[in-house]
Amino acid sequence: MSETTPTSETDRTTTEEPDRETTEEPNQTTTEEPNQTTTAESTEADDSTNATTHTTTGEADERVREEWREYEFAGKPKFAVEDLDVHYGDDHALQGVSIEIPENSVTALIGPSGCGKSTFLRCLNRMNDRIKGARVDGSVRIDGREIYQDGVNLVELRKRVGMVFQSPNPFPKSIRENVAYGPAKHGDIETGLLARLLGRSDEAARDRLVEECLRDAALWEEVNDRLEDNALGLSGGQQQRLCIARCLSVDPEVILMDEPASALDPIATARIEDLIEQLSEEYTVVIVTHNMQQAARISDQTAVFLTGGELVEYGDTDQVFEDPRSERVEDYITGKFG
Amino acid sequence: MAGATRTPLIREDASRPEAVAGLAIAVAVALIAVGIASLFGLVGIDATLGGGSGMTAIGGVTTVTALGGLLVALGAAVIGLGVGSALGYVETEPSPNAGLVATVAFAGVWFVLGGLAASVAFDGVLAWLPAGAATGGAAFVTAAATREDVGSTLPAGAVAVVIGGTFLTGTIGPSWVWDLGFEQQASLTATFVVPAATIGCGLLAGWAAAKAYGGFGARGRRMGAYLLIYVNASAIIGVLFLLIAFTAVRGIPGLLTGATVAPGAGPTVSVLGVSVALPVSVPFVMNGVSLLNDFQGVLPAIVGTVWLVVGAVVFAVPLGVGAAVFLTEYAERGRLTQAVEIATNGLWSTPSIVFGLFGFTFLVPRFGGTKSLLSGMLTLGFMLLPLVLITSREALLAVPDEYRDASAALGVSKWHTIRSVVVPAALPGVVTGVILGVGRIAGETAPILLTMTGGTFVSGDRAADVIGGFAFTAQPPFVTNPELLRATTALPFQLYALITAGVGLGDNVSNPTEFQWATAFVLLLVVLSFYAVGIGARYYFRRRLRHE
Repeated sequence: MSETTPTSETDRTTTEEPDRETTEEPNQTTTEEPNQTTTAESTEADDSTNATTHTTTGEADERVREEWREYEFAGKPKFAVEDLDVHYGDDHALQGVSIEIPENSVTALIGPSGCGKSTFLRCLNRMNDRIKGARVDGSVRIDGREIYQDGVNLVELRKRVGMVFQSPNPFPKSIRENVAYGPAKHGDIETGLLARLLGRSDEAARDRLVEECLRDAALWEEVNDRLEDNALGLSGGQQQRLCIARCLSVDPEVILMDEPASALDPIATARIEDLIEQLSEEYTVVIVTHNMQQAARISDQTAVFLTGGELVEYGDTDQVFEDPRSERVEDYITGKFG
Repeated sequence: MAGATRTPLIREDASRPEAVAGLAIAVAVALIAVGIASLFGLVGIDATLGGGSGMTAIGGVTTVTALGGLLVALGAAVIGLGVGSALGYVETEPSPNAGLVATVAFAGVWFVLGGLAASVAFDGVLAWLPAGAATGGAAFVTAAATREDVGSTLPAGAVAVVIGGTFLTGTIGPSWVWDLGFEQQASLTATFVVPAATIGCGLLAGWAAAKAYGGFGARGRRMGAYLLIYVNASAIIGVLFLLIAFTAVRGIPGLLTGATVAPGAGPTVSVLGVSVALPVSVPFVMNGVSLLNDFQGVLPAIVGTVWLVVGAVVFAVPLGVGAAVFLTEYAERGRLTQAVEIATNGLWSTPSIVFGLFGFTFLVPRFGGTKSLLSGMLTLGFMLLPLVLITSREALLAVPDEYRDASAALGVSKWHTIRSVVVPAALPGVVTGVILGVGRIAGETAPILLTMTGGTFVSGDRAADVIGGFAFTAQPPFVTNPELLRATTALPFQLYALITAGVGLGDNVSNPTEFQWATAFVLLLVVLSFYAVGIGARYYFRRRLRHE
């Protein structure tokens, strides 16, 4: 391996091909390169001398092992992902990711920039369909039902799997309209002119829903006297909580969060983190974050993606942060690169 | 080297030179304003100032002479500022030279001046070329080789002094004419040359004075640039107001002829069955043309123009916005969208008479074979379509993708997203496009000449009554509207017919010139009121999108 940035195709393929074999036939690891034939401990000792030179780019010559990604948990998985590959044109963004995400918990996805965390997240509600040139292979099942097959109702899928984006993106409408937008568009709430004329307006139901969602998003106290104001007049942290409220309004089962606090100050971040912990009692939360302390604070289990779109390690958050099995993950978590 | 560009941290007291420079700037700006006003004929070149009614109290001095005197004084002041700085009387921070742009500009100006002077002095000889080259070269060397304080003030101030001198000495007097000697009659007269030269000198000397005001160097250049930008911006606004004032002054007498304000003076208007007599009567906009009127009016033309614009907007906006939505949100970016883009840009720059011919050969035969209001509406609608499409597309592309993502992540379908989020966010941009387009089509004459207009003068009772014209029939097409299928008139066409074709002279119109100006003024008012509606709509939509 070179010390240059790992962009050339030949570098990729040489590291990729053995990976495949490892995942398929774990017994063959002994036939690999000499410094990998020894046990894990001695490998670490051997590599420790030259690890610093490699790990500045996160491209150590380390093979991913199947057992690093095994995580046993009680209860049934909400998501079961198998061999997920994503290509953006020629770019291989995710490589054979397999993971099971438990229900009613917080799962953090961490890793350096460009490692495929967001891509993986966007596969879970098929938002990647909206990106031109994206190709998804593999299987993603939610409650045992495959979502990458013909006849999947994207409207229903995205109602069940809501998403909160990196930068707060409320619509340029009033706070009330923002929260009621999803249900109104799905026909759950009718407050249009026709409904009002026919006396079937659901205004009371809408107001109840708006209040409930805003309370769940810990925003009600701050905005209850100005629901008619434009949402763009709120502060960044309030806007992000409004987006969470908007996401809750369609009654999802899963909430995907793509670095929801990266654009916020520490106080707003703390409020969002508290909120995430509360939400995990009722919802399955999957959160992408760059902030490792944040992941350690709020998540139940952590998945680490490293350069090249590989899932390297997955397990209980305490275990991943205190006793990472992969050397590269350890380097990443202790801040040697990334 | 660092010391070379070091400037004092705190400027010493420089109030006296700054006051001189400020005065020079004020004189230059005033000269430019007078020049513009005199180009528009508001100030006569040969007018004698004085006698109490003039701007200055100099008795018996013509405007040309006064301008010349001011120019000479301005030039002398500018040169004085530069030389004073060069001799060290004034503390400044000049750059090593005046800069490339200024140098080339001075060389060009002086080349023209020297060449003109020589060609006047030695008529018919090719002496102008060496003379121009000599003066231009001298200016180039002065600007390039000397320090900025002299290099940028001396050539500029000298231009003002020389031109002011020709005005002052009467070399260029009020009756001066330079016959260009072409086969066709072409000559430059003092009424054009004097204001134009005054404006040019004012800009040049004002710029130099502004540099001196800023003490040359970086600050001086910034001052000079400010002056040029501000003069430019105010000149644009000034010209706009002059145009409107020009039309208003000439149009208002005709517009208000016979106007009365008294209870029950106006025509009776019935709204929802209640008849009310308006308390205002303005015959010019309430009458048509008939033998019995004591004052003829343009009501049918106003109504025709309004209906034309309304019809064109109703036709073009849904089509244009729909096409823009398709191209932006649905169509794959590729050959098709590129072809449509090129075609729309081409259509927008197509001459309006071509649209008129299209309407004449395609629409008119299909709507009863005669010119009709409907053909005119559709022709103008086709003209408006490309602009609405282009601006709507730009507005839709400017809507952040985050809105689309957020909506999709809620499981909302694409069409609902477009309808509830994307199009509302793009509406201000769409409205801007419609405003621009309406400004163009409301004043179009050529297309409606071919597709819509009948007689120039239409009597008041024949103003197109589009709403009242709808009638229902038992046979297909079930709805008919003879008003839409009848030729009528519109303000730009009426103006064209009045002025160019001479229609209406001696045709009951007591004062044709007044009538024409009043028509032009009313056209201006109608277009401006459309603008006002559009700008109001845009303001409303913007307010809805932004907080407070």
